[in-house]
Order: sequence, then structure tokens, then C-alpha cells
Amino acid sequence: MAASISGYTFSSVCYHSANSNSDHEGFLLGEVRQEETLSISDSHIGSAEFLSVIEVHNHEPCAQLFSFYDYAGNVNEENLNRILKDRRKNVIGWYRFRRNTQQQMSFREQVIHKQLTHILGIPDLVFLLFSFISTANSSTHALEYVLFRPNRKYNQRISLSIPNLGNTSQQEYKVSSVPNTSKNYASVIKEHGTEFFDKDGVMKDIRAIFQVYSALQERVQAVCCEVDQSERVREKIQEEVNKLKEEIALRKRNSAEEERRLQEAAAVTLPDNSALPDSKHSSLTQVVLSGPSVEPSVERPVNSSSPPIYSSTLPPDSPSAILLPRPQAVGSPGHPSPILGLGNGDGSSSDSLNRQATGQEDQEDDEDSSEYENLVSEQLQPPSLTETVTLGRPATLWPDGDAHSPPGS
Amino acid sequence: MNSLSPEVALSRISPELRPLLCSVVCNGRVGLDSSSCLRITDLKSGCTSLMPGPCCDRFKLHIPYAGETLKWDIIFNAKDPELPPDFIFGEDADFLPEPSELPHLVSWDTGKPECLLQLVKELLQQYHQYQCQRLRDSSRLLFEYGSLLEDPNYGRSMEIYAGRKNSWTGEFSARFLLKLPVDFSNIPVYLLKDTALDPGEDVALLSVSFEDDEATQVFPKLYLSPSIEHALGGSSALHIPAFPSGGCLIDYVPQVCQLLTNKVQYVIQGYHKRREYIAAFLSHFGMGVVEYDAVGFTKLTLLLMWKDFCFLVHVDLPLYFPRDQPTLTFQSIYHFTSSGQLYSQVQKSYPYSPRWDGNEMAKRAKAYFKSFIPQFQEGAFATGKL
Repeated sequence: MAASISGYTFSSVCYHSANSNSDHEGFLLGEVRQEETLSISDSHIGSAEFLSVIEVHNHEPCAQLFSFYDYAGNVNEENLNRILKDRRKNVIGWYRFRRNTQQQMSFREQVIHKQLTHILGIPDLVFLLFSFISTANSSTHALEYVLFRPNRKYNQRISLSIPNLGNTSQQEYKVSSVPNTSKNYASVIKEHGTEFFDKDGVMKDIRAIFQVYSALQERVQAVCCEVDQSERVREKIQEEVNKLKEEIALRKRNSAEEERRLQEAAAVTLPDNSALPDSKHSSLTQVVLSGPSVEPSVERPVNSSSPPIYSSTLPPDSPSAILLPRPQAVGSPGHPSPILGLGNGDGSSSDSLNRQATGQEDQEDDEDSSEYENLVSEQLQPPSLTETVTLGRPATLWPDGDAHSPPGS
Repeated sequence: MNSLSPEVALSRISPELRPLLCSVVCNGRVGLDSSSCLRITDLKSGCTSLMPGPCCDRFKLHIPYAGETLKWDIIFNAKDPELPPDFIFGEDADFLPEPSELPHLVSWDTGKPECLLQLVKELLQQYHQYQCQRLRDSSRLLFEYGSLLEDPNYGRSMEIYAGRKNSWTGEFSARFLLKLPVDFSNIPVYLLKDTALDPGEDVALLSVSFEDDEATQVFPKLYLSPSIEHALGGSSALHIPAFPSGGCLIDYVPQVCQLLTNKVQYVIQGYHKRREYIAAFLSHFGMGVVEYDAVGFTKLTLLLMWKDFCFLVHVDLPLYFPRDQPTLTFQSIYHFTSSGQLYSQVQKSYPYSPRWDGNEMAKRAKAYFKSFIPQFQEGAFATGKL
């Protein structure tokens, strides 16, 4: 069993006691709570420890001695009720202060304690004894306090702790669960509480924050879907590109061989070349025709390096196009509400550094953007070879490092 | 801690409580052992240190009980002197008297000076009950107690201290303090008046300590009031028999009682016998008596003459006369020894019988003188110087 008393209650009791010119007594108000500590360790499954904690919240001093009992120590219930009034149910014990005496319960205290236990119906009523010892020349005074559990046979003394009385530089300041029973405090809070609390008693700020959090969560979910989709698209495109590469390589080999044969034939006789270009052309055409309807990038010359993830497409003006998330710094001054994926419409981002950080996905120069725009808009048009040639830009696009202001923004 | 003298204690206590304390320290006697007074120590105050003195209102009271000293804290409040005190019963934490059986607590009246003393006596009675209850731990001792209780001679004046059970060995010890119903009233007054202080009532207390509950280690001790002890010849004269192993108190105590009674009788008789002796000598020797102890009848000096030889005879009567023979000291009035003293000879053995009465003794003494004197005279002349 453990017991604690709040610092202000303790000092209040001491104050009342020290200022009385005789012995002093009163009642302790508070609550007893049961704490269960479940400890789990590797060696065994778990053990539960039960601890009864007595918390003293307040005290009710008696104005004089013998105020609720007579000379024989018989407790008068009427007087008791007059002193306690409606706080009777909060009583957890009583206290007594006497100077220059032993730390032991006296005869009358034991008699009264038994009766109080019975009358108040508290089986584990506690008794707090203060003794004030002074040296003969009054140079040193010691206030000693002991908490008794007289109704138990053994372990009658409990240690009483006062939270935050001690060296708090090495410990945290503990907040106890003592409720604030001050009426003034309650009325002020009630009056001004609506500014901070909503009708359910939850702080308004918390709700607002929670709403922001929910909105962010939704957006993240949406972005995840977008990422998922764009990844799939990219995969497909990657496959196509690979295929095309193979085709091109094959064609090159074929054409090289053809040439060689032609040369060989020329050296011997005149071979018939008419079939080859047609086949080449036909294979190309076939490829073109069989290319995925999704992307015009099929026509682009393929180089050995793999294209960057996001270089192939650009977010177009129309939101119906595939949207790539364009990360922006949250809280960036120019963009109070960043809209993921839509960007500025022209494909540029105001924060080039951020672009760099997110790894190459971007955008670049106005020239590129305009070219990409063209690309995107081309998906609506039939692909033309000439344009692909002009777009022979290496797939990896690196930002120049300058902050490019987007055109028209 | 030194106990405070009554005067000091009274000077320091709060004035309203002074009468109560006075009756305790000045005339307070509780229990069987009335010879030791109640003592006060640790006089302290329950007021703040700013309160001007004297304002002490709490102290420790030392109460002799069954050979032990109980140290009870008594707590008053100087600010409310009309309120009854509170008690802390020292080491007897289990002792909780029933308040309703303490009439002087229930109707406490600070105006009555003896109130505190009476309350202490009532508490002691309850304490006695409490100790007797504790005897229940040992059936043997409980039997002892019960048997004594039934005997009207001892049952009413008994104090029992059932000591703490030795937690290591489980040994239980107890002490019985009994007041022996011996009548000391006939002891000659002269024997009793020598003591300096007024010891109060003359009592004989028998203390029997049981160091274990099987009564294998029993230590009896007899305590007498100082005057009685002196009257009976000092502590060395009284040896009580050892407690018989396997014996019990109900047999032993009457034995001791009888022994003591016999001794007292001896002393009384002795006194009378001595008186008789002296009277007889007075009548026989008449003018020859120089002086005698008229109070205790222990000494007698005669001046006798035989054939113009005068000599003194000092008769010293012992305490246990007539059992013990009187000592005769013959002294010459003429002769000195080398050390400047009168020449004398002591005679302890001479024809004597305790069964003779005073007259007979006087006669026989006379006869002896006559027979011895020639010898003495020769010796005096031979060795003594004029």
C-alpha cells in the first residue's frame, strides 16, 4: 500500500497544526484507488501486482479538541456530521498533531479510531500522526509524520510520499491525479471555457488539427493511387521501349547483313534490293501501328539509357491526362495550398531545388515543357516521325540548377 | 533520564495542572510496592515555543509494578486544562483499557486534585487484568495464577507481569509479586523507628520470577520494607528456601510466609524475653545495675563487688535471644590493658539454657559470676596495670 498527499494539503495541515497552541486534529479527505501493474518479461508470462494507493486531497480541521467525542472517547455521530457535512463520503482517514510526544498511537486515539472505522464504514481508515519535537533551547524543531493503518495487524505504518517535494532537477515534475476542488477555479473555467473547448469538452484546436490531419491523409491516399497508376503505365511503356529497342537492333543487324550481302552480290552479281527497304519500312510501320495507343513516345529514337521515370509524360493542362504528382514544399510561401499532381499547368515547378531532391523527375526548362506539351497533345494526333526526330533529346533530363520561372506565372 | 524532583516538576508544570501533579508526586503510591514513589521524567510542553512558561503539560510517569517499572506517557493540554489526559502505555502497545471502566476518566474533574492519581490506579487495575490475560499463553503459569487467586490470603494482593515472549527462543517469562499477609504490628516500635525516612506501610513482598513457562527456572526473592528488614536483623538474616523444582506457588508461598511469620514471632518474643531478663536482673541485682537499655532491652551493665573487688559486667542480649546466648563482658575498674582500655574479658559460653525464665537466668548468672570472678580477678591483676 502506498500513500501520497499533495504538497499544498500537507502544508495546509502543518500550518493549522503549528499555529495551534495545543494538540490539533482533523479529518483527511481523498480517495483510495487500486492500481494494477502488469509486468511481462521473457522469463514468465506476466504477473499482476495490485497496489492500493491512498491519495489525500484535502483536510478538514477540527476547531477544538473533543469536538466529536466525549471524555470516554465515545464518538458522537451528530457532531461528526456537523463537522464533515457532505464531505463525509470523501473521508479516508483522520490526523492528529501533538508536540513532544512519541510516534505511537495513544489510548484515546485508538479508541476513537475503532469507532470511526465502524461509524464511517471504512475498513482501512488511516491515521496520520504529526509530532513536533523541539530541542530544549528551541533551536531545532522537527516535524515528524507517520501514517498508520491501525486496523491491520501487521505493517501498520505506511510511507507517505509528497509528490514533487524533493530534488526535481533530476526528476520530472509529477502531476498528480488530485482533482482541483476549488469552486473559483471551476467557475472561471466554465465561463471562459467555450473559447477553448467545444460542446463535447474537447479542445477546439485539437479538432482543427485533427481535421488538417484527416485532409492530409486523404490526399496522401489519392496520391498513392496516382502513383500506382503511373507506375503501371511506366512499366508498360518501359516494356514497349525495350521491345522497340530490340526491334531496332534487329533491324540494324538485318540491314547490315543485307548490305553486306548486297555488297557481296554486287561483287558477284546484282542482287534484288527491292524487298529489303519494304521489309524495313514495313517492320517499322508495323511497329508503329502496333504501338500502344497510349503513348506517342514509341516513335522516339531509343537510346541505350533507360528513360527517367517521369520524363516521358507531362501533366497537361487537361486534368484528364495522367497526373504525376509534383511534390512541392508544404507551406511554401508562394503556394499556400499545394495541389499535388496538377502543378502550374505548364509543367514547371517553382522550386527547382525540391525537384532536384526528389530525383530527377522534372522539369526542366521551358523548352522542355513546351516540347512535352507538344508530346502530350500529340497523343491526340497521329504520330509523325519528324517530330520524334526533333525530340532526340537524351532521356535523362537534368535540371540546370537554375530556378526557372515558369512562363506566364 | 533523571527523574525530576517533585519541586522541580511542580515548578515547571502549567499552573492549572499543578494540583493534579502534586497529588501524584507527593503522596502518590500505587500498587503493592508502596515504598517507591511515582516518578516523573520528560516534562514537556504541548504549546508553541512562544508561550511563556511554565507551560509543561505532558510527562512520563514511572510506575513500579510487579518488580518492573512501567513508563506511561501522560498528555494534557495546557490550553484546555479541564480536559482529561491521554495516555501512551509505553511498550505495551497491545494494552487498551476499556474507557467505560475508568470512572475517573468518564467523569474527569480537573478541580479534584486526586483525580489523576485515582485514574492511574484504575488504569493499573486494568493493566493487571491485561497481564493476567497474557498468562494464558502458558498453561502452567495460568494454573499458578489460578491457584493463588483462589486463596483469599494471596489472591487479592497480587501483581503479575507477564513478560514479553522472547521471540527468538519462544520463551515466556512472568513475574508474580505477592504481598505476604504477615502481621508486623507487634514488632516493637524501637526496632522500627531507626529508619530515616518514613517508608510507609510495612510490607513484605515476595517476588517469584519464572524465566520459562515450564517452571524449571524460578527465582524467588523477598523484599521487605527497610524497617522490617532492620527489625529482623538485616537482609543477611533472612534466607528463604529455594523454589522446589516441580513445586508450585500455592505450596511455596505459604512456606515463605510461615518462615517470615516465625521470624517475626521470634523477634517479638525475643523482645519480651529480653525485657523479662532485664527485669529479673534488676530485681536480683537491684542497686548493682548501672544502666540498661530501657527501650530495646539489649544491654545491661552491672557494677558488682566481690571481696572488695569491684567489677563491671556488661550483658549484651542478642536479637534472637533467648535462642542465642547473651554475651557477658567482665570489666575491671582498676586495671588497664597496654592499649589503654579497661581490662576486660568476654564470656560467651557459660551455663545457659534458653528454656529458663528470666528469674532462673538471673540466679544462674549470679552463681556464674561468683564462680568466675576469682579467675577474672587473677587475670586482671596479672595482666592489667593499675
